[in-house]
Amino acid sequence: MRIERYDMIVIGAGPAGLSAAIEAAKCGIKPIVFDENARPGGQLFKQIHKFFGSKEHKAKMRGFNIGKELLEEAEKAGVKVVLGATVTGLFDGKEVTVRIGDTIKHVQGDSILVATGASENMVNFDGWTLPGVIGAGAAQTMMNLHHVKPGDRILMLGTGNVGLVVSYQLMQAGCEVVALVDAAPRVGGYGVHASKVARCGVPFYLSHTILRAEGDDHVTGVVIGEVGPGWKVIPGTEKHFDVDTICLAVGLSPMAQLLSMAGCQMNDTKGGYVPVIDEDGMTSIDGVFSAGDVTGIEEASSAMIEGRISGLAVAHYLGYIDDAEKQQRIEEQEKALDALRQGMFAPQNRGKKIEKTEEGIPVSENLLDKGYIADDEIARYPGVTHKKGIHPVIECTQNIPCNPCQDACKFGCISIGDNITSLPVVTEDSQCTGCGMCVASCSGQAIFLVEEDVEPGYGEVTMPYEFLPLPKKGDCGVALGRDGKVVCDAEVTKIRSAKAFDHTNLLTIKVPNDMLMKARFFKSQE
Amino acid sequence: MTDIQEVLNKIGPYEPAEDDHLLVCRCEEVTKGEIRKAVHEGMFTIEELRRYLRCGMGLCQGQTCGKLVKGIVARELGVAVTDVTPATSRAPMRPTEMEIAGNDGGEQA
Repeated sequence: MRIERYDMIVIGAGPAGLSAAIEAAKCGIKPIVFDENARPGGQLFKQIHKFFGSKEHKAKMRGFNIGKELLEEAEKAGVKVVLGATVTGLFDGKEVTVRIGDTIKHVQGDSILVATGASENMVNFDGWTLPGVIGAGAAQTMMNLHHVKPGDRILMLGTGNVGLVVSYQLMQAGCEVVALVDAAPRVGGYGVHASKVARCGVPFYLSHTILRAEGDDHVTGVVIGEVGPGWKVIPGTEKHFDVDTICLAVGLSPMAQLLSMAGCQMNDTKGGYVPVIDEDGMTSIDGVFSAGDVTGIEEASSAMIEGRISGLAVAHYLGYIDDAEKQQRIEEQEKALDALRQGMFAPQNRGKKIEKTEEGIPVSENLLDKGYIADDEIARYPGVTHKKGIHPVIECTQNIPCNPCQDACKFGCISIGDNITSLPVVTEDSQCTGCGMCVASCSGQAIFLVEEDVEPGYGEVTMPYEFLPLPKKGDCGVALGRDGKVVCDAEVTKIRSAKAFDHTNLLTIKVPNDMLMKARFFKSQE
Repeated sequence: MTDIQEVLNKIGPYEPAEDDHLLVCRCEEVTKGEIRKAVHEGMFTIEELRRYLRCGMGLCQGQTCGKLVKGIVARELGVAVTDVTPATSRAPMRPTEMEIAGNDGGEQA
């Protein structure tokens, strides 16, 4: 039997695996990457939203564009990616069996990097096996890769970032999201993600769970109920929705079976069965490394950095770079990774209720409970100021590692400072020109431009808008509040699209002056 | 070593529950009730349950139900989920036809 040998075998061509292969290749290694899928990039190509972070994390770029960049970088570095290649085993002596087509090949590596990612969790309730109950990942695959609408009326279970982001994407695809449901008492994902769904009128049901899916051969409805003490549903709280699809976004589990099979020391944690690794990603087996979600669930931005660190560690392990070079190059990456692991949603804060921001401002209770900030809560945040002329209103109220808005404004209106998780502050004496770059740069779609007295008694609100078809100048309709309820009539006065906005259109509506701090979304009246 | 009888005495007899009919492993069609009952018959690890009921042995190899089964066993035993011994991982990691598995190495016999 012939065994091919490689310096480095990477299992998984997602953000972590590709990044590792790129860094290693840049050091002179010729890595081979196996991926069971037909396309490389892992989940990145399903991510049509803008990413958070700062410039070095590729913030405000959309996920699929980050994926494209990563593939180009891999090609330039000479990384060989084999697709449709399913690794079926990892054995002693760093030997890998990989199924390609109808054959199983044996390959051996001087080093192995396992970056197999994660799989979606499920929950069961009556009817959960009916066609129409799908995972959030499946919904994203259908919509964003294959351009197929997953359903017409959808209920989403799970208010973590995946549930929130996918709900928004479903609406972008033309589906109606009837409700967001979570058994937890608080919204799990970023408040800004929740707000952009809530202001479209989607109700949030926290402390609720799915009791049953209805239908004979496919989903025709769903019943939810409120969860009381001991996770029991409180009788009389049942609510029915007519839906054809139930989407589940209830977390991810690392797919670490290959590492466990290889004999790596494993750790059973609340977040899943994961390998024990050192700070460079090396497992308990010499020369076997691991990076990305398979080592514990985070997100694509941190997976890419973890991958780069492991790639450098592999290069050092194989003698392609010396101690000093490794030290220096890993340090940069670690700094970037550290920045991403700060703030209210940092791994060490998972599951904790945080009452106040780093600035000492109370977190919006309403945001955690209903998905939007109440009108009487909004004024307390430093991005929300009142002025006569046009100015940004930044409804960013939680400490998350993200700062593109600061660089987006060329006139110094917005400041976050060195601490990437600080809430953005609108500076007092700066001159806003109304260019809208900040509005388009905010991955959380939380920045609005507000101008009083554009004409007697009326002002304008400019908001980020990512739905098609775009409203036209002169269109009449209604303005919706943060809670998605109609606040007043509104007329479209401007719609701006520019290459620099990267598909975030700026929609300007005219509303009475006293509605300027309430109107946050626009709905055309047919 | 686990004293099976001691654990069984501690957790008491199997009591039917309203949701026992719920399908947990959809590949092998194993219900929640069957899993709960098996625990009271002395199956405390995922490995034992897989051999006994075949839950997690189907096409998805437990990718869908693995976590659910673990949760059910933990609740039944009154222990933390992380205290339930997970299943051993074995090759092939993904379902592979016998014809192809038998042709390991890629050389025709």
